[in-house]
Amino acid sequence: MKTILSLYRAAMKEFFRDRMATFWTLAFPILFIVLFGFIFSGGGSPSYSVGLVNQDNGPVANQLASVFSIPKALTVKPSNLDIAMANLKKGQLDMVIVLPAGLSDAVQSGGSAQVQMYFDPSKNQTNAQIEQNIVQQIVDSFNKGITQQKTVLTLQTNSITSHNLRTIDFLMPGILAMALMQLGLFGTAQPLVSLREEGVLRRLGATPLPRWHLLASQVLMRVTIGLIQTVLIVGLSVEVFNVQIQGNYLELLGLVVLGAFTFVGLGYLIAAISRTVDAAAGISSAVNFPMMFLSGVFFPLAILPAFLTPIVRALPLTYLADAVRQVSIGSVPDFPIMVDVLVLVAWTLVCGLLAARFFKWE
Amino acid sequence: MGNGTSGTSAIVAEDLRKHYGKTKAVDGISFSVGAGEVFGMLGPNGAGKSTTIEMIEGLRTADGGSVSVLGLRQPKDARQIKRRIGIQLQTTALYPRLTVMEILDLFHTFFPGRKTIPTSELIRIVDLDEKKDTRSKALSGGQKQRLSVALALVNDPEILFLDEPTTGMDPQARRQLWDVIERLKAQGKTILLTTHYMEEAAQLCDRVAIVDHGKIIELGAPADLVQHHFSEIAIQFQAVGSANDYRGLDGVTHVAAEDGTISVYTADVPRTMAALLAREATSGTLRNLNVHTATLEDVFLKLTGRALRD
Repeated sequence: MKTILSLYRAAMKEFFRDRMATFWTLAFPILFIVLFGFIFSGGGSPSYSVGLVNQDNGPVANQLASVFSIPKALTVKPSNLDIAMANLKKGQLDMVIVLPAGLSDAVQSGGSAQVQMYFDPSKNQTNAQIEQNIVQQIVDSFNKGITQQKTVLTLQTNSITSHNLRTIDFLMPGILAMALMQLGLFGTAQPLVSLREEGVLRRLGATPLPRWHLLASQVLMRVTIGLIQTVLIVGLSVEVFNVQIQGNYLELLGLVVLGAFTFVGLGYLIAAISRTVDAAAGISSAVNFPMMFLSGVFFPLAILPAFLTPIVRALPLTYLADAVRQVSIGSVPDFPIMVDVLVLVAWTLVCGLLAARFFKWE
Repeated sequence: MGNGTSGTSAIVAEDLRKHYGKTKAVDGISFSVGAGEVFGMLGPNGAGKSTTIEMIEGLRTADGGSVSVLGLRQPKDARQIKRRIGIQLQTTALYPRLTVMEILDLFHTFFPGRKTIPTSELIRIVDLDEKKDTRSKALSGGQKQRLSVALALVNDPEILFLDEPTTGMDPQARRQLWDVIERLKAQGKTILLTTHYMEEAAQLCDRVAIVDHGKIIELGAPADLVQHHFSEIAIQFQAVGSANDYRGLDGVTHVAAEDGTISVYTADVPRTMAALLAREATSGTLRNLNVHTATLEDVFLKLTGRALRD
């Protein structure tokens, strides 16, 4: 155990002192999250035009309507529903807020009511998210003003396109899955082949060190890196971009560990069939690109043409992205979660066995 | 030393063979190394030295023959043997981003339950004090080789294996490593080394096996080998004239002429020299006159017809 821990520490030091490895496995996915989070939001303080439809006109609704005109970021234009929705579709409005009839009565009688918000994520996903945050804050502060504890007003957001997810919600699990894949490709296959090519494995073979000690330490180290990636990606998404994690963090952790094993296994398999670092780099890239674009990391599987379906279904990243997305943001599953898990387990076993069979230490 | 079965022999190799396709890399090599002995395998690149040493270390399996190390058998007892020996490989590869100290500390954990030499002492033995916090990829070739020797010493090995330890080093770095090896030799360490440097074998080894084409072609103490093959010493000079002009000189056994250089072989240098000088004083000039004492290089040249470093 002491030997495995020493090897583990050595591998961690090697990893964190290797700028290329840290860039691809840690900085790169973070860059993705930050880029997607900010790229559409532009600079300075944004201003949004809001179509306010007050169908209630009761005392609570009127007060709420006046609250919406306080934030500088919102330019409120009172309107009726049909005109407002038409303008939203034309892009003349960024969002429409509807205070439904009966809102005042409901609140005054001690019940609760829903404020409707409409926006078009297909026009500008990141803005939609920021708008939603602003409106949510307004509703929250209004709630606090009315009661001390009880939530009387809830905000229901309605996307006028088919699905209700913000881009960042959709992307975060995909980027997490992609990061785990790249840990397996660029963070495993190449470093391993380079250890072999430089003769480090051979040198270790000249000591009484059992090979499984080395293997265990290397896999442990990579699973650790996978967990660090997860903390960074999920933490950043939740804290900065307000992504809501719907599922259980333990389930997410389990999936991350399974995904790390799957792709580290794939990395070992690539290392097993690559004679040189260049070959490993080539194969890794050849595997990386189709997976990045055909596994539903950046866009839903539904938009891919049907003839690609067999490829999509063959790729392990498809299942990891789907499983992570289901668990983290509660999206509509492409496959039942058990299918995702079983496919990933199968990939892990097949890669592991093939790698064990063909991996050469010298 | 050793644990009995092979007496005072630390290593016994018998009829070792290794074939790669039709190439016989090692073609029936046998020798034994006594406890406390420094034994060298001298030969050109590709002679089969590294393959032989690696079969003895247990890094390669032999196609034929047998190896006993410290009374244990290869490959059956390979792990047990590796615990007790120290191996320095021909190409030194280490974790590039770990420091000298970190790598040595790591290697200590590979020998649980065995007494090891502390890192600080290893660093002192190989003179790497100034570089102990340097990452291995920033070390010079000579420093890397010394670190590699230190790694081979971590488990205070009963036998030290050095495969071409000074290849590619500049003369100063080579001297420095020779000093390290000589200190170990003085401590009574058993060492098996391979080299294609004649001076290295002559300087460090108690006995040398000259290896060519996978076979040992000569084996003995360096001085004895030279003595045996070159009982005469050559007087060399450049002169106008042919070899025949010098055959009649006092004490000369034979004469060779090559590229204008005449080599006159004699068992009695002063007598032949006197006769040569007396004659040349009247008949012409001698240029580049020198007395050449034979070396292992000459032994190799004589045995194979080729120079060692071709």
